Amino acid sequence: MASYYLEANWDDLVPIPQDDGPEPLTPISYDKECYSEAMSYFRAVALKDERSERALSLTEKIIKHNPAHYTIWHYRQQILFSLEKDLYNELDFITDQWIIKTYNLWDKELAFIDKLLDDDVRNNSAWNQRYFVIFFNPNEPTEELLAQEVQYGINKILLAPNNISPWNYVKGIIAKSKEQDISVLEGLCKELEKQNIISYHALGCLVDIYESRAKRGSIEDKNLGIKTCELLAEKRDNIRQKYWEYRKQVLT
Amino acid sequence: MEKTFDRSKTIKYFKRCLDLLPNNYTNLLGVLETEIPKERRDKWVNWIYAQQILPDENNPGSPFSGLPFNPNGSRISKLPFDAANLAMTYTALACLLILGDDLSRVDRHAIINALKYLQKENGSGINVEKAVDYIRKSQSYDYGVGQGPGEESHGNSLYLLNRLDEGLLSKNQTIFWLLSRQTTGFQGRANKPPDTCYSFWIGASLKILDSFEFIDFKQNFDFLMETQTKYGGFSKWPEYPADVMHAYMGVAGLSLMKVPELQELDPALNISLSAKERLKTSVIFNNN
Repeated sequence: MASYYLEANWDDLVPIPQDDGPEPLTPISYDKECYSEAMSYFRAVALKDERSERALSLTEKIIKHNPAHYTIWHYRQQILFSLEKDLYNELDFITDQWIIKTYNLWDKELAFIDKLLDDDVRNNSAWNQRYFVIFFNPNEPTEELLAQEVQYGINKILLAPNNISPWNYVKGIIAKSKEQDISVLEGLCKELEKQNIISYHALGCLVDIYESRAKRGSIEDKNLGIKTCELLAEKRDNIRQKYWEYRKQVLT
Repeated sequence: MEKTFDRSKTIKYFKRCLDLLPNNYTNLLGVLETEIPKERRDKWVNWIYAQQILPDENNPGSPFSGLPFNPNGSRISKLPFDAANLAMTYTALACLLILGDDLSRVDRHAIINALKYLQKENGSGINVEKAVDYIRKSQSYDYGVGQGPGEESHGNSLYLLNRLDEGLLSKNQTIFWLLSRQTTGFQGRANKPPDTCYSFWIGASLKILDSFEFIDFKQNFDFLMETQTKYGGFSKWPEYPADVMHAYMGVAGLSLMKVPELQELDPALNISLSAKERLKTSVIFNNN
């Protein structure tokens, strides 16, 4: 007889245990009372391809123990279809980006991300989500919105100049914009320098800017680029010393 | 005191795990043949073959589905939900090679057909052109790669396939994204703490892109020495208990840095160079 844990009546089924053979590779010490028993009843009920309430509740128990068990998810899906269940109740299990797309929640989402970033400006997932809301939205972003977003990112950089997330975000927005250009960031980098704020992201950004002008023939920018690479390699970003030496070599 | 990689404790850790937990990865230590008797290794090979699912209406299934154990896979399964799994197929093939098997009982055509069947229209499957296109679309604004279009850049989604560089918007920017993950050891995403396994995921991706030499070896090594536990094995973070996955990833991360106590690792296949050599020379596939 099935244990109290499984709740439903399973008396009509003979559980099928796992036969792992004489010398299994690294046997798993399963939770015998819960997981192993639930799996034994799963084998028996899935063999009949039973689509029932008790089978549905069994899949929930197994998923809670082992969310990576794809077979159980697949079986659960088939049961939900067969029983014509309200699939909205399953949304707890589904990723947020899919929900936003399907239910057109773009505006609400941006306000929510503002709050997430106010709470923790280093939350990189929230920054990524912000980019998703702006560019995967069916309405193409206007240049006005992109300019606002650049300013939003710059304001967040000023709060924590060594936080890489808004740096990546602003650069990503600039790359997509037809009107914004990397020189906006040059102003920011110089401003940080003037205030004696050390940010290796600002220095790295300056290297990119100097390099692009050096390629167009500016000797002054070439020298500034080399100097900045040396500063990064020796002091400000020593863990990437070999990388900045390589960048310097490319400039030379 | 300078910390060093403790090879013998690591071997003991893995041997304990082999008797109790999932995984088999004494491979890189090069001691499988001396530490585990051949008879036991052969039984493990049989156990792996017993998990193989063959492509037939009346397909033999795996013991997980409740069938009696059978290393020749000749039984009939009627369980409709007993399907093959890509990650497990890779793991099984890698383990068979590590155990010295010649793959003679593997149904190669069945695996290739299953791969074709699994490929989705958007390319997250096996047609290489489509797969390369999928990576391109999954690349994020910071030049890292997410698990799909719009998703956050993550250290282990970059580790995808050998033709990685063709799928990248800017190889140089992606290399910089990877190098930027080093804080002492490596983090998997921006602003996360370093974690043992990313010494492998990020390190292997950099190796594939020919840029591993740019990392700070000493800081990476020292971080891994912080996560090596006094009972052997490695944990995810310093001061945490070891687990098998991170123990393997710690060893793999050290192997990428050519630590002398370890065999060298092929970064794309994630098996030792000697197991890769076996794949190229002694596997029966090469004849058909």
